[in-house]
Amino acid sequence: MTQPYIILILGYIFGFYMAWNIGANDVANSMASSVAAKAITIRQAIFLAGILNVLGAVFIGSHVTDTIRKGIVTTDVMADPHVALIGALSALIASALWVSFATWKSLPVSTTHSIVGAMIGFGIMAGGFAVINWGKLLAVVLSWIISPLFSIVIAFGIFKIIVRLILSRRDTLTQALKFSPLFVGITLFVVVLSFLFKTPLGQRLAIGSPAALTLAVLLAVLLGFASTAALKRYLKKRESDAEAVFKRIQVGTACYVALAQGANDVANAIGPLAVIYFLVTTGSVGGKVPVPVFLLFFGGIGIACGIAMAGHRVMETMGKKITTLSNTRGFSVEFATATTVLAASKLGLPVSTTHAAVGGVIGVGLARGMEAVNFGIVFKIMVYWILTVPASALTSMAVFKILQFIF
Amino acid sequence: MRIPFFSMFMTSPFEGLQEHAEKVKECAWAFQQAIECHLAHECQTFEEFRQEIIQLEREADAIKRRIRGHMPKGTLMPVYNFLLFRYLREQDQVIDCVEDTLDWLSYRTEPGIPKELEKDFLILVDGVIDPIEQLSKMVAEARKYFKNYSEEQRVAVKKIIHTLHMMEREADKAEDTVKRKVFNMDIDAVTVFHMVRLAETIGDIADHAQNAGDMMRAMIAR
Repeated sequence: MTQPYIILILGYIFGFYMAWNIGANDVANSMASSVAAKAITIRQAIFLAGILNVLGAVFIGSHVTDTIRKGIVTTDVMADPHVALIGALSALIASALWVSFATWKSLPVSTTHSIVGAMIGFGIMAGGFAVINWGKLLAVVLSWIISPLFSIVIAFGIFKIIVRLILSRRDTLTQALKFSPLFVGITLFVVVLSFLFKTPLGQRLAIGSPAALTLAVLLAVLLGFASTAALKRYLKKRESDAEAVFKRIQVGTACYVALAQGANDVANAIGPLAVIYFLVTTGSVGGKVPVPVFLLFFGGIGIACGIAMAGHRVMETMGKKITTLSNTRGFSVEFATATTVLAASKLGLPVSTTHAAVGGVIGVGLARGMEAVNFGIVFKIMVYWILTVPASALTSMAVFKILQFIF
Repeated sequence: MRIPFFSMFMTSPFEGLQEHAEKVKECAWAFQQAIECHLAHECQTFEEFRQEIIQLEREADAIKRRIRGHMPKGTLMPVYNFLLFRYLREQDQVIDCVEDTLDWLSYRTEPGIPKELEKDFLILVDGVIDPIEQLSKMVAEARKYFKNYSEEQRVAVKKIIHTLHMMEREADKAEDTVKRKVFNMDIDAVTVFHMVRLAETIGDIADHAQNAGDMMRAMIAR
């Protein structure tokens, strides 16, 4: 067996491992509030999260994948196929190692930023500091600030709207049903738009922006009202208030987050693997690497496996811990998280679902929606977010040196 | 800490507030029993009830410290933490005053409360029992308000606060009657002092319940 193929196999292994870690670590972000609010059971959550992560990875994921790879490090270092090959592998191994270490030591890190840091580390080793695209790196740093802020604003706004239009009214059920097409509609609008604009399927359909917008609006309105009709039918008489309505809607938003998560996070594991795959099959690598659908599928399956194996434990701890989250609050958090992630990944920013989810909770907290949210801990979390990049960069440098010695 | 999403959720201080209010409520019954027993003369169980109150006060204190100890800087709540602490302080002083009353009585068990004052003291004690019991109801209703922010619910809380005010006024009147009577009785100065101070301490219970209500009014202000 030739050397590149050994590297490709190693790439598959560590790519899968990385995807597994993403699933195990990040499933909480999408399903936590739904499970805590008893909208779905743990078993359903794991099933849904697994399926939707795969779907999100395969159908919405491709755009982000090449951005991460080429954005941070200039393509100059990729000129030498051998260096590029080892580099991509060391980035994968380093981020996987760092995430495992963090899991072992109970540190809150983002898988997204682990891979970003690892890419930087490899770039520095291969071509010195000059190859780092500081502009793109700045965008990453900005995304640490922008994505939680964006999420805070959305969560704050949507919760205030829910309070004003529904919760504070006399008959919350009627109000909730009256406005449910709006909330469902907005959610669907974002999903449809991101689907049309970003996916290979959407590109193949080649729908122009105005047409896409019209289609999204039409679908959103149609399905929004359809969902309300369904809600009216399936609501049980005895638990009829606004929370009961949002309990149903929350199932939808949980799926929305899982979909966005799959779309966004699959790149972390599959980006470097795609480079390796491309190098091995074609011998060289250009500015852009088309990511084969089967690789995205592979990544999605990896995430799903992580969810299936670790999700149960994660969600059981969570069910005990988050008791104050009602359905309207959970909806606000999830809606903000998913919208932020989809919007950011549309802009090509390597945003972390964790950041968005944390922002969502803070937003509802600021809107006085929860009895107590620990805002202070955010600063501690942020230290780890920032530390993640240099830490995984250093690991990546070390791994790169070792691999260079071996191959 | 591994999953940042969870580390943001913390035990609600309102949970503790409710628990504390329940402790205060629990002491109402023991307090009433203790006073009635004391008035019945040949009382055997007064000391038992007093010990029960002391125990309840200690438990309430522990809850109070727990709430204060678990509120890191930057805790996001529906209310200012300053108001929450002030409220807690007032609610805690209700149970403190209950304990003080029984302690004060225990310092001088003989000759006890004069026959002529028994009825007035019973009225006064009855007048402060209701405010004590209103507190836990008020906390529960306020928590409901923080869930839905509806005007109706706000009015419900405000109604309880208003009730507390009315009850305090009644208790004040009862306290006034007792004191007026004491000074016009033919008794020794030590008994006068004992009785006046006793009436004031009991009256303080309603005062602090009312103060708690005022703090709650500030917490639910829009």
